[in-house]
Amino acid sequence: MSETNDKGRRSFLAAVSTGWALFTAASVAGLGMCVRFLFPNDTFEPATKFKVGYPGDFAASSEGIVDKRYKTRGIWIVRTLDGFFVLSTVCTHLGCTPNWLEAEKKFKCPCHGSGFYSSGINFEGPAPRPLERFKVSLAADGQLEIDKGKKYQQEKGQWDDPESFLKMEYSV
Amino acid sequence: MLALLVPHLPEFIKNFIDGLLEPTMYFVLSVVGFWAMIQFRSFWTRGWFIGGFFAFTIVFYFWSLTDENFKLIVGKPDNVPITILFFSLAFLLWVAFRKMVINDRLIDKGLPTFEHREASRRVYCWPDLVYTEFLALILCTVLLLVWAYYLKAPLEEPASLVKTPNPSKAPWYFLGLQEMLVYYDPWLAGVVFPTFIINGLMAIPYIDMNPKGNGYYTFKQRRFAISTFLFGFIVLWVTLIILGTFLRGPNWNFFGPYAYWDPHMVESLNNVNLAEYVYLEWLGRALPSNILLRELPGFLTVIAYFAVLPPLLANLVFRKMYKDLGFIRYQTMVFFLLCMAALPLKMVLRWTVNLKYIVAIPEYFFNI
Amino acid sequence: MSLMKFITDSQIWKSIFRHKYPDNPRDQALAVLSNVFLHLHPIKVRKSGVRMSFTWCMGGLTFFLFLVETITGVLLMFYYRPVVEYAYNDIKALRDHVPIGIMRELHRWGAHLMVITVWLHMLRVFLTGSYKPPREFNWNVGVILLVLTLLLSFTGYLLPWDQLAIWAITVGTNMARATPLMGHEGPGAAFIQLGDVSLVTAGSDVRFGLLGSKTVGAATLLRFYVLHCIAVPLGAGLLIAVHFWRVRKDGGISGPM
Repeated sequence: MSETNDKGRRSFLAAVSTGWALFTAASVAGLGMCVRFLFPNDTFEPATKFKVGYPGDFAASSEGIVDKRYKTRGIWIVRTLDGFFVLSTVCTHLGCTPNWLEAEKKFKCPCHGSGFYSSGINFEGPAPRPLERFKVSLAADGQLEIDKGKKYQQEKGQWDDPESFLKMEYSV
Repeated sequence: MLALLVPHLPEFIKNFIDGLLEPTMYFVLSVVGFWAMIQFRSFWTRGWFIGGFFAFTIVFYFWSLTDENFKLIVGKPDNVPITILFFSLAFLLWVAFRKMVINDRLIDKGLPTFEHREASRRVYCWPDLVYTEFLALILCTVLLLVWAYYLKAPLEEPASLVKTPNPSKAPWYFLGLQEMLVYYDPWLAGVVFPTFIINGLMAIPYIDMNPKGNGYYTFKQRRFAISTFLFGFIVLWVTLIILGTFLRGPNWNFFGPYAYWDPHMVESLNNVNLAEYVYLEWLGRALPSNILLRELPGFLTVIAYFAVLPPLLANLVFRKMYKDLGFIRYQTMVFFLLCMAALPLKMVLRWTVNLKYIVAIPEYFFNI
Repeated sequence: MSLMKFITDSQIWKSIFRHKYPDNPRDQALAVLSNVFLHLHPIKVRKSGVRMSFTWCMGGLTFFLFLVETITGVLLMFYYRPVVEYAYNDIKALRDHVPIGIMRELHRWGAHLMVITVWLHMLRVFLTGSYKPPREFNWNVGVILLVLTLLLSFTGYLLPWDQLAIWAITVGTNMARATPLMGHEGPGAAFIQLGDVSLVTAGSDVRFGLLGSKTVGAATLLRFYVLHCIAVPLGAGLLIAVHFWRVRKDGGISGPM
């Protein structure tokens, strides 16, 4: 008789613990759903791939001339005598937008004073690493095409990637 | 109108203060001031002192307003709360320390403290407490109405993500954290340290095992607890807020309170990582290409700081505390204490040897 | 006089006020006991507990300012639309096109004042050792309330949608990028991958969850509005109730044991 009692108790305990386990799992899943709900699938932000004009539109110099026309799209286009590269306008320290100071030939971040050369290399202030570069290529119609979906970080050695740089000798 | 009646603050005073203050001196002065506040508490808690202090600071404050640059930054609508905080904190510290000093004297003589004498006396909430509260909220409402009537809430140009204002500042109550960003990377200054501040505050009741000083003002019976807390609150929080709001200008450069915020001021910052010191200067060889090997000195420093220092302190400085608290409480206490000390330590290292990072792995955003 | 007596003797008056004028111990006790709001208080407190020089009244003022913020906030909600196209102009209109043009000022300065009073309240509680047993738990509730106060103020800072707002929030929330493991520029995030695909990116990290987009934008404005007006005040209100209840349970305003 005690054996059947024991059996009954064990199966009861099993049922109860299964029940609680299910309840906990369901609660966690519900909470997870609430958190997931806060991460939208789509965010109606501008396209990451866009054209910025013909290579002939850009002036060049040996250390590079910074084109500020597309700052609203989050990029600077730098033309050197060898070609093009595209810098992100997001400071690598805390994400403010630096300003290009033509007289001092540097990007200066207004938030904490980080400074970058026109190459994007950081040389002063708290920024821990250089500005990021984006993919730049020639579209079929001859225009420069930027793809902000692909970024290249210097400290990871990605600036050697041929896609991070568009080779094109400057001729007057 | 003020400017017509009062002569301007003399240039030599402005130049003296502007020349004296820079981040190092500012911090040193605030630490010295803090030490003096604790040390000479029986002196400055006298009645005439606070009167004199307020008379002097208020006169000097308004006199300073004759300076355009000072007026511009202090008079910014969102910065007014800092002035209110400064004066109310000064006054309330005076009240608290005065009570501490008086109670400590009573305790020394073996007499009951002010609060002990009244502990057994109970009064009805109606009317004593209810009317005190009523009066307080009326005064508060009046202050708020006058403030709201005379000072317009700020509204600048419409938001634009392209034009970053120079300088860009977080709301004033976070400027202590933003100032910390000069010395530590965002993951520490913006995420880990704030979390530790909150957790450290929450841990206080569980690591302070001192049964004395519960429900009455005393300094002598709680020397360590009060000094540590006030150091954090006053030196590492409030004075850093004042520094970040009033003295940090364009490009986060430091400007004296009367200085013009010149956006083109250049401050050369040539900071060096610990690994560069060790390998390039002391060992005279190139940086190893292996990241972990390169940052080994930094890792060892951090590990030593958090693992070797606590037992060392337990044997040298905190011997009695270690005995009272036990292992877990002591470790918790000393961990938060070391985290708190990490900020001034890094500041000093930056000022003296231009140290940028102790551990520098920008490849994986891991800089300490 | 007889009119006064007529009123105070009426059934209506007596149904509201269940006691005589509180000038004697019995009615003083009843005045607190029979009123749901005053009932936050005990009937009697320590003499030291009613001294302003001991309590500074900062906790009480913080609660009062919370009420001020609630009332002025609800009034502002009648005119404000959390949409990028309208927000700025709605705030501007509060000054010129709405009577009593200081409602926004009351709300903003009240918020700043609340941050100050809550800090000073914490300072007083620390200096009197009032976090010690049996008040440890309530100190913790207080710390969370302090954080919520800062969050309330911070989320409200974005709503005017001017340069001050957007950059303060940008600077403030950019730190979330650097959250270890959960921010796309945080240490360790690079190791969270499925095959070649990085799981923690600008479009999926903790900052994205907070902002609802990769930069402070329309989604952020709406998100902060909801947090500011509903989510955080609800949490704060709940914890304020717990905080007050625990003050009573732990022996009222602190004093020597």
